[in-house]
Amino acid sequence: MSTEAAATAVKASGASHTPLRISGRANWLSAGRPVKAEKTLSLRDDSGVVSYVPGDLTLTIRAGTNLAEIGRITGEHDQWLPLDPFGSDDGTIGATIATASAGPLATSFGLPRDLLLGLEFVNGRGEIVRAGGKVVKNVAGFDLSRLLTGSWGTLGVITEVTVRLYARPKVDRTFVVSLGRGLKSTTELLRAVAASPVAPFALEILNGAAAFSLGFGDNPTLLVRFGGNAPVVDIQLKAFSQLARTEEVEQSTWAAFREMDSDAGSVIRISTLPTRFLGAASSILADTEPRIAISINPRRGVMRLVTRDGGNRDPERAVDAGISLDFPTDGDGAGTSVIFEKLPAEVWPVVSPSVASDPLSRAIKKAYDPHNILNPGILGD
Amino acid sequence: MTLPSRSNASTVADRLGEIVGDRHVLSRPSELLVYNSDALPGYRKQPRLAVFPGKRDEAIAVVRLLAEEGLPFVPRGAGTGLSGGALADDIIVIGLHRLKEIISLDIENRRATVEPGVVNLRLNKHIAPHGLLYAPDPSSEAACTIGGNVAENAGGPHCLKYGVTLNHVLAMTVVLPSGEVVELGSKFGEHDGYDLRGAFIGSEGCFGLALDITVKLTQRPQTVRTLLADFMSVDQAARVTSAIIASGIVPAALEFMDGPTIRVVEASIYAAGYPKDAEAVLLIELDGLEAGVSTDLEVVRQVCIEGGARNVRVARDDVERMKLWQGRKKAFGAMGRLASHLIVQDAVIPRTRLSDILATIHAISEKYGVLVCNVFHAGDGNLHPNIAYSADDPDESERVHKAMTEIVNACIDAGGSITGEHGVGLDKLGYMESIFSDTSLNAMCELRGVFDPDRRANPGKVVPIHSCKEWNAAASARGPARAREATPLSAEPARPSAR
Repeated sequence: MSTEAAATAVKASGASHTPLRISGRANWLSAGRPVKAEKTLSLRDDSGVVSYVPGDLTLTIRAGTNLAEIGRITGEHDQWLPLDPFGSDDGTIGATIATASAGPLATSFGLPRDLLLGLEFVNGRGEIVRAGGKVVKNVAGFDLSRLLTGSWGTLGVITEVTVRLYARPKVDRTFVVSLGRGLKSTTELLRAVAASPVAPFALEILNGAAAFSLGFGDNPTLLVRFGGNAPVVDIQLKAFSQLARTEEVEQSTWAAFREMDSDAGSVIRISTLPTRFLGAASSILADTEPRIAISINPRRGVMRLVTRDGGNRDPERAVDAGISLDFPTDGDGAGTSVIFEKLPAEVWPVVSPSVASDPLSRAIKKAYDPHNILNPGILGD
Repeated sequence: MTLPSRSNASTVADRLGEIVGDRHVLSRPSELLVYNSDALPGYRKQPRLAVFPGKRDEAIAVVRLLAEEGLPFVPRGAGTGLSGGALADDIIVIGLHRLKEIISLDIENRRATVEPGVVNLRLNKHIAPHGLLYAPDPSSEAACTIGGNVAENAGGPHCLKYGVTLNHVLAMTVVLPSGEVVELGSKFGEHDGYDLRGAFIGSEGCFGLALDITVKLTQRPQTVRTLLADFMSVDQAARVTSAIIASGIVPAALEFMDGPTIRVVEASIYAAGYPKDAEAVLLIELDGLEAGVSTDLEVVRQVCIEGGARNVRVARDDVERMKLWQGRKKAFGAMGRLASHLIVQDAVIPRTRLSDILATIHAISEKYGVLVCNVFHAGDGNLHPNIAYSADDPDESERVHKAMTEIVNACIDAGGSITGEHGVGLDKLGYMESIFSDTSLNAMCELRGVFDPDRRANPGKVVPIHSCKEWNAAASARGPARAREATPLSAEPARPSAR
């Protein structure tokens, strides 16, 4: 599938008013998002490097390339794309950008929007559009790259992506801290970490259920990753060790953590001010509901609730668990976003009405996809 | 939308005066002179009126009045832009520098909400006692405003490590050209739906005015070390730059100044102690945890020496550090000593191409007999070739513009972009078709059409009007009398590129 072939397919669908489901390696289809489509436009076979000059630390790649392959290609030059969305590395870069999916490394390397330099897409009229460029800094024209990021394929079929790369850190180590049952000190620990000069690559706090599934016993547990040159890692580790008792674990812990999503019945992300998590962490983690794995990224200000029972058709429970958390809010819960990442198909319309229904978003959708053929319904109606 | 006649203009001025107070509306040509250019004095356009709201509600009322009247306008911050983006060709300027309140500061969550007229340096002074900084640092940080930063998606030397404006803005409240007020992004964190905040940042005043902006603040690094490496050839400095980037170290900043720039700076009041006989200096800053910075410092020093640096000097204290930076940040100001006008380009190239592009720029400057000074963000590959010249000399002006066009085209051919941080504005409008296809430009027009269906906000900037298919179709359907590109409200200049 070349860009031209994608453009031809979209044009034909526009002419016959045949809605399309846009798919990479089909991992997100299990998220149950409601797409009303008769045909699938798959970019699975459109993979590979378009241009990669390691000295520039940029990579232009076809959208169907999966993250594992990007890791392999860049790893040969001791570089990486520090983007580790929840799920597996079998996901494509196109889908990762389209869904704006991020993972633990977002703590220090930012969200997909921060790593994206440019892209090529096919709009709903089958026209090929390029946005941004291939250099690390660029303000030429309106920022269609950011617009497409997180638009879930509803504004265009992403066919090619240019991203910023980093050199792989010389040292990259991961540690766990068992937080014990007491938990009184969790908030204190987090405050101490926040106040210290420690700047970990990733930091996640897991409840007992999440820790258990990773083989760390069933106490709430903190996972922390330090990277950089040797002195930077050593000094941080030393500082951190003064705050808590650490135990080193394999890097594969992160892959296992991210893959907890794969057999989940529902995944819900709650985003709010980081301090609200600091205040509420102890009570959240004390909840011993064994089927809901909770992880909190206090720096990013994000908590994820993964209902691990694949047969569980009752995601409202998880939603309630999240929303009823004891957040100090401005008035009536203002400032807390509840973002549904995965739900059973029949539940979507009930709990998640349209997320792009404001007049500007509707007008953009109409301009870019006038026949409403690109993933219709995936963001609600 | 029709152009207000002189008498209508006075009626409009009266009504604007009722909103903001008469003394905050300028209508006499002599008073408006100061608003007829930005920091690129080569472009001059005289506004018809200028209005300066002092409160958020006044700004909204001004935009609503102009919407009712169907009048076009240009938002303006401090006027420090370098693309001609804030020029108003016989239309209304809305100056936002009076909206300068720091509305709220949340130290623990490291964010601040500010009005658009807040100057970068003032915000940084305000938050410094808390060990925080606002990372984007345009060289005009002592004068430029956060609202202007958002409009241009501004950068600066330290964006190499910390990212540009779009990486640091969480949310804003915007008044659309229609007068409607909307929230884009989320002050509190992440959200789903389209990234309208991302679309708005860098829209160069074409999508509306930001009334407040919530930005992320960054913890001040524990240690900052600044090095000055000097070279007897431009090529050596360029190769060392590429080698530092390829080493994987991400300096906080990596700035390049060539011989002509060094000598202009050293002859000015901003003299920084750069070696006057050098053909290039690199100003390299490393920051972070002390232990890591020391290690990286040695690596960088070694790369510089192996690459032919004559001398590598590490600033001993903050006073010396600030002096080294002053020379860099005031370099454009120092150019004022050479001639009355300055033209600056902002192209970006892949960082492995620095050496050959600088050689090409040198060849072009010889060909046209002009003096190109190169002072730029080398670590990002973001060039700022600039030429001081006299606009009163038609022959010199022509040579200067031809040289600049060739330089930009060489950067485009190297796989680069026409602008890294200054914006398209008027200055680079003619190059847009060299890097974007018709369908890509039309997609930009469509996005603009969503935010500003009447095309009244900063008309004629960013995207060439003839690239907008639907608008052209609509305009010709209405007949020539109403075709907007035919009115003097459009500020679109002739295309400079001969490509």
